[in-house]
Amino acid sequence: MLESVEIENTIDIDQIKVESRQLANKLNDVQPKLRIQNISKSFQSNNRGFSALEDINLEAREGEFVCIVGPSGCGKTTLLNIVAGLEKADSGEVWISGHKINGAGPDRVVIFQEAALFPWLNVIKNVEFGLKQKGVNGSQRRNTALEYLKMVHLTKFQHAHVHELSGGMKQRVAIARALAMNPEMLLMDEPFSALDAQTRWILHFELQNIWLKTKKTILFVTHNIREAVCLADRIVILSTSPGRIKKEFTVELPRPRDDNDVNVAEYSTRIMKELKAEINKVVKCEMDADSCVECDIKCTTEVPAKTDVGGGI
Amino acid sequence: MYSIIKRVLFFILLIGIWELLFRFGIWPEYVLPTPVSVGKTLIHGFHDHTFLIAIAISMKRIAIGYGISIVIGIFLGLLIGRIRIFEETLGSLISGLQTLPTICWLPLALLWFGLNDRAIIFLVIMGAVLSITIATDTGVKSVPILYLRAAKTMGARGWKLYLEVIIPAALPHIITGMKQGWSFAWRSLMAGELLIVCLGLGHLLMIGRELNDMSQVIAVMIVIIIIGILVDRLFFVKVEQRIRERWGLVKV
Repeated sequence: MLESVEIENTIDIDQIKVESRQLANKLNDVQPKLRIQNISKSFQSNNRGFSALEDINLEAREGEFVCIVGPSGCGKTTLLNIVAGLEKADSGEVWISGHKINGAGPDRVVIFQEAALFPWLNVIKNVEFGLKQKGVNGSQRRNTALEYLKMVHLTKFQHAHVHELSGGMKQRVAIARALAMNPEMLLMDEPFSALDAQTRWILHFELQNIWLKTKKTILFVTHNIREAVCLADRIVILSTSPGRIKKEFTVELPRPRDDNDVNVAEYSTRIMKELKAEINKVVKCEMDADSCVECDIKCTTEVPAKTDVGGGI
Repeated sequence: MYSIIKRVLFFILLIGIWELLFRFGIWPEYVLPTPVSVGKTLIHGFHDHTFLIAIAISMKRIAIGYGISIVIGIFLGLLIGRIRIFEETLGSLISGLQTLPTICWLPLALLWFGLNDRAIIFLVIMGAVLSITIATDTGVKSVPILYLRAAKTMGARGWKLYLEVIIPAALPHIITGMKQGWSFAWRSLMAGELLIVCLGLGHLLMIGRELNDMSQVIAVMIVIIIIGILVDRLFFVKVEQRIRERWGLVKV
């Protein structure tokens, strides 16, 4: 008698578990991975306010690859930094998987324009760094790090020092380092813009393959439309001063895509055309920086007050 | 290789002139000893262990004093470099104190600690600590913000951020400060040992003077120079070079 009751109880609990999992899955479908809500941010420059971001609303699905494209100084890096928790917005909220973010955290790892690898550690220890902060034990850490180094094809260089690597290799280590943390999403801030064209081409392939394998949600900032078309599921165009979402494009081309593919090129040209006005605005401003009163504020702030490049020691 | 030959020839010439000056007999031997007698004193000093014991005693003092000043210097440097209030207060005191020659601490050291080892160690600490503090402060301030951001997004916090990111990132500066600090510490140690009678290399110099044994004075000076060169050239210069290479501050 007692036994049967017990069995019934366990069945009940299992049932609840299954149901709750289904519910969670449903929620996941409804709930976006990333939700950016009414984000605004302005900077002070020469005692004048400058609206870098104005009422930005953006969502990204689980596993979606979103590119934010905009001219330099439009606040796209600022937006990424806000999502990363490295900068604070004046107003608005950022939610990751239903949790409101508060400061930087290992659930959103950033890959910067410069690899930001630590030169005092060798390659594998760099990849292990985040895991070590999490408190993962030594051998498990090493295994995870090796797994991701393998993904970026750099196991041979695991004991190399950072100064021995090329720019492209550094970024691949940075990607491995970010993936090893198994973050909720990857934030990439013009990660390939300092590389030469060939290396960039290779890394576009590599990143797409990694994304197909890991299905991470990626928020990728770039000023290069071709790069965005090559990588993204969805492209979000930011306008400049004030930084607003101007337009969105969905890219439905087969993967992995090639920078030089005709479809990619054609698609880029189409977006370019639509953006002509915006680009002209920036160009005009830069050309007549002295005479243009209207865009004076913007031009002064374009001297990047908030560069992410740390500079040499 | 060629430059080594030139250097060796130069020193042979120097010793030759020295020997020649002695042969002229202008000065008595207690003013100018022969190179040979200095050499003999050196051999004798090492043979009967007097020099070795003196070196050991001096090195022990500098090891303790310098070790303490590294710990204090890095700690103070981090405080000043990272926390505004300490920079505005302690920072000005440190840069003020740096203008004070270390030996000026001697009267205070004697009153506080008496004529003993602790007074000398105190002098060594005061000699090295300020250089290390200032270098650490500079190093901490020039840690690329990119490293800090990367570390933060990977979840580095609190003392781990200091230990695993800020201090290593500041290391090229810190090691330069340590090198300078070591040479100040070495000077302070010798000054202290000359004035406070309690063995050590400095004391050995003073014994030479008291016994009118100029060859001992010069022999001990040579030992002091050689130790200085060994530590500076063979240790600090190499370590500094390697760190700068690794940190990507020089092209290899």
